Amino acid sequence: MSLQLFSTLFINGLAMGVVYAMLAMGLILLIRAVGILNFAQGEMFMFGAYISAALILDFHLPFFAMIPVAMISFIIVGLIFMFTIYWPLRKASYAATTIIATMGAAIVLRELAVLIWGAMPRSMPPLMQTPEGGAAILNIGGTPLPWQFVLIIIVGAALMLLIYLLFEKLYIGKLMQAACQNSYAANLIGIPTILTIAATYSIVSILVSVGGYMVSPIFTVNNTLGTMQLQAFAGVVIGGFGNIKGAIIGSLLVGLIEVFSTINFSAYRDVSVFLVLIVVLLLRPQGLFGEKIADKA
Amino acid sequence: MTLKNLATPKNIIGIIAIIAFVVIVPQVVQGFAMTIINVALLFAIISYGVSIMLGMGGQLSFAAVTFMGFGAYFIANMSTGRLGFVIPTFLALLLTPIVFAGVAFLIGLVLLKLKGTYFTFSTIALVQVAFTYFNNFQPLFGGPDGISGIPTLTIGSYSFGNDLTAWFYLICVFVIIGGIIVERIRRSQLGRSLASIRDNETAALTLGVNTYLTKVIAFSIAGAFAAFAGALWVMHGRFVGAEMFNFLNATQFIIMAMIGGVNSTVGIVIGALLVRGLPEFFRGFQGYMNLFWGVSIILLMVFMPTGLAGIKDVIVDKFRQFRVKSRKGDDDDATNTKA
Repeated sequence: MSLQLFSTLFINGLAMGVVYAMLAMGLILLIRAVGILNFAQGEMFMFGAYISAALILDFHLPFFAMIPVAMISFIIVGLIFMFTIYWPLRKASYAATTIIATMGAAIVLRELAVLIWGAMPRSMPPLMQTPEGGAAILNIGGTPLPWQFVLIIIVGAALMLLIYLLFEKLYIGKLMQAACQNSYAANLIGIPTILTIAATYSIVSILVSVGGYMVSPIFTVNNTLGTMQLQAFAGVVIGGFGNIKGAIIGSLLVGLIEVFSTINFSAYRDVSVFLVLIVVLLLRPQGLFGEKIADKA
Repeated sequence: MTLKNLATPKNIIGIIAIIAFVVIVPQVVQGFAMTIINVALLFAIISYGVSIMLGMGGQLSFAAVTFMGFGAYFIANMSTGRLGFVIPTFLALLLTPIVFAGVAFLIGLVLLKLKGTYFTFSTIALVQVAFTYFNNFQPLFGGPDGISGIPTLTIGSYSFGNDLTAWFYLICVFVIIGGIIVERIRRSQLGRSLASIRDNETAALTLGVNTYLTKVIAFSIAGAFAAFAGALWVMHGRFVGAEMFNFLNATQFIIMAMIGGVNSTVGIVIGALLVRGLPEFFRGFQGYMNLFWGVSIILLMVFMPTGLAGIKDVIVDKFRQFRVKSRKGDDDDATNTKA
């Protein structure tokens, strides 16, 4: 393998890994905050892509006007999701009910997207364009790297770093963590848990939807984007359940494994990812970076 | 269980309802609608497996769709002569549950080393790996084109062919046999061991239940159910393609079981008929049907977490709360909803 091919594939894999990591980080934040495994994560991701496509293609908003509008709509989607799927079920006695409800939510989001925007895939303009309107390519030492992949890595990494700092370093993040760990005690000392949970849902919705927007120029906007959540699940488990750092590293690994296995057997690339998942589960069920924790979700 | 115990009013009503269903449906329904009912009943058999794993054992497994695929491709390979030999369809059908109970046992030995959510994730991985092979591996699974021209079921000299009514009766027989097996398991030592694992695995372990082996056995029974239904499904539809066995369809069986009531055998059959039947029935509103469907799943989970079978308990519960508000807390006997 030439160095050129290697670096192109590496950037491609890393970009996909960052996308999976955004999904995975959202999953972990939700599991920590409310203990719910969200099977509609991929559909939120898809819906984010559709919303940004609508803002750009239908309303022709300029880039800087689009960002705040998109953020507000992502937050609204997150809050609606919370108050329909999580809030009525927070006291459900049967763990499977909430999971089934998120599956129902996945169907609803998928169908809503088709009803509102039609079944045809919508193609999105790439963020960095050549003067002719094609996808711009970054050339480093003779190695062509598509700008979109580079931007996915930069934007995704920045967003995840911000959210990580928010949760781990800031006072408000500590409040949120306290509410996650023991919501009863948090309520007693005056933390409004409903607000912290709503904040978590909004943040997760933004994170995941931005991911959907970033990949949409590559895959077009269509209602099968949601299947990427399976790779994110794999990343979460490979990295370690309930551990943000582990989930991110695991997802990056999944992206790289997926892209590099296309060299030899492109049709079977899913096999390599999920076989790695099964092997990791058998050898180290707590994940590569996980500490032994109780099974919460 | 003696005959006297069986002759309760509830059971008699149930048996009359089943006989009525079997007798009336073929008179009223014909053609394409019959195909849908047949497929729905086959899927009910698969959901029985979900009931054993999730309802009795509390283990969320997506693997049913993969075992259905195994059963379907097994028949496709055995009876079309793709591998250079042909086994009579009836013999192949009988072999399917035995072979795939064994296969499921081996897979279960590996996957059930994991607990709870990890196990669920590993079954998702199994579904994905199997789907990729179904979709690409030409020699065994026909690749993206699938396998067509599968012979129908022939018992002795009688061939079921495209006679949908005959298929309906045959599938009803298997649904009833399957239901009896599930009910029997629920009342057996295996069923009670599974229930103890569902309610508290540590406690079950200290009481001497071999939790690992119990779960593996349940997994292999569920696998056998799914493979058997898959075998019937492929001989009924005469075609098998990989699209059927993706992750989206894997969730369908869980939804069927949950809608009907995961611990109710009759509820599961009703759930399967609803899940497969309603979207076809309302084809006129096609665009909105799936949306309506998703919304109703959510609403059902919010208001009736035990599914349609729990509707009585929910109403009784509400009534009791209304009547004796002060004695709240001691009405936890009637339902088996704790997982």
